[in-house]
Amino acid sequence: MAVPVSQMYTVAKYVVTQKLKGVKRYPLVLMLEPLFRCNLACAGCGKIQYPDHVLDKRLTPEQCWAAAEECGAPIVAIPGGEPLIHPEIGRIVEGLVAQKRYIYVCTNAILLERKLKDFAPSKYLTFSVHMDGLKREHDLAVCRDGVYDVAVRAIKEALNRGHRVTTNTTLFDDANPDRVRQFFDEMMALGVEGMMISPGYSYQKAPDQQHFLKKAKTRELFSKILTSPKRAWKFNQSPLFLDFLMGIKEYQCTPWGNPTYNVFGWQKPCYLLQEGYTKTFRELMEATEWHKYGTSKNEKCAECMVHCGYEASAVEDTFGTLSGFARTVKITLLPTAR
Amino acid sequence: MTDSKTPSIHSGSPQGHVVRPTCDAELREAIELAFDYRGDVTIERKSGESILCFVFNRSAEGSPAWLEVFPSDGVGAVKIPYTDVAAIAFTGEDTASGKSWEAWHAKKESERQAESDRVEAEARARGHL
Repeated sequence: MAVPVSQMYTVAKYVVTQKLKGVKRYPLVLMLEPLFRCNLACAGCGKIQYPDHVLDKRLTPEQCWAAAEECGAPIVAIPGGEPLIHPEIGRIVEGLVAQKRYIYVCTNAILLERKLKDFAPSKYLTFSVHMDGLKREHDLAVCRDGVYDVAVRAIKEALNRGHRVTTNTTLFDDANPDRVRQFFDEMMALGVEGMMISPGYSYQKAPDQQHFLKKAKTRELFSKILTSPKRAWKFNQSPLFLDFLMGIKEYQCTPWGNPTYNVFGWQKPCYLLQEGYTKTFRELMEATEWHKYGTSKNEKCAECMVHCGYEASAVEDTFGTLSGFARTVKITLLPTAR
Repeated sequence: MTDSKTPSIHSGSPQGHVVRPTCDAELREAIELAFDYRGDVTIERKSGESILCFVFNRSAEGSPAWLEVFPSDGVGAVKIPYTDVAAIAFTGEDTASGKSWEAWHAKKESERQAESDRVEAEARARGHL
């Protein structure tokens, strides 16, 4: 199993508790962006196009810890920007680990080898390394030669030091299913705990607007990739979300599942759309007009199948329906049964 | 709405335009444009004061309606009532403009390499590599 039992238990307990309390909307993963500055300029990224004085702003460790407490989600993903640029990222993670949250530091790994000394291995800490394919595809996606090799070296070193390491992969419409399958083989051979995959989202501000996947093509691509999965492949995400990407399941978006906090505040309504900010998490949950977002409700959401909207829907299916729970158990225990 | 550069700012980037709204609807439209803009703007307040800033939030439904900005030379956010805004000039570089995938691919290999090297050099200069 790609996700450790203790983490699965923590998430399951949290979700069941929310359900027993009758909470209709609850967060699953806090997307914590401590800064927008990055050391790459990837063509598919819409997160870093800001003036320098905005890119220079950073959340303090105290702001990060308070956001996690306020939100209460059992999992915290730390993207950005490149979080390892933040001079206090070690302290930020240490404080979140002390809160016993499961942390995913989402990094391009350029600085990882140098920064590993700032982190103590922990079951609560995972480095989620951005890898968009084999060497040729990855270096093209990040618009710089040599980054794939640097990331592979850093993954090996992090694993050597006893860290949990996963990969996160965004696929665009030019992805070659056979090459992606080869890429999965290569990542698993490195010894990573699991992989995360998602189609890209057409950020309004991303340089690359032509290569984002539309829904039909997403299902076709992911079906080709994930049908007859190899026994060695492990995915660090809900099996039902992968079903959704393949067109086996239909879900509505759960935009409050992955709330986003950054230097502007709590982002309305989700990680991908920027329609305004609130000062508090409570205000985000209460003031956002959730009915305006999701499939068939908003043109900006029409073609989106991204994990930050639908992974929480898949988890809700697991714990909200008997059939969802049974299928999750089946695919978890027998990944090749899909 | 008076626009010092062209009559239409609805296509492409508003970079370089100055918008001086003449009614509430135009003011709201201009503020939405500034909110969506990924560069600094210069807001001329009715007091005559000007502020170079990045607009990151707004509430047209607030009472009073307000926008929130990060001044380019300051640390904290500043809230400005809609009613204080006399004009908005899109003075900063639109950081999201002109960087399409097609443009990237259309460039000669040497130009792509030069751009990649520039981004890398900037990151190195900041100590981020």
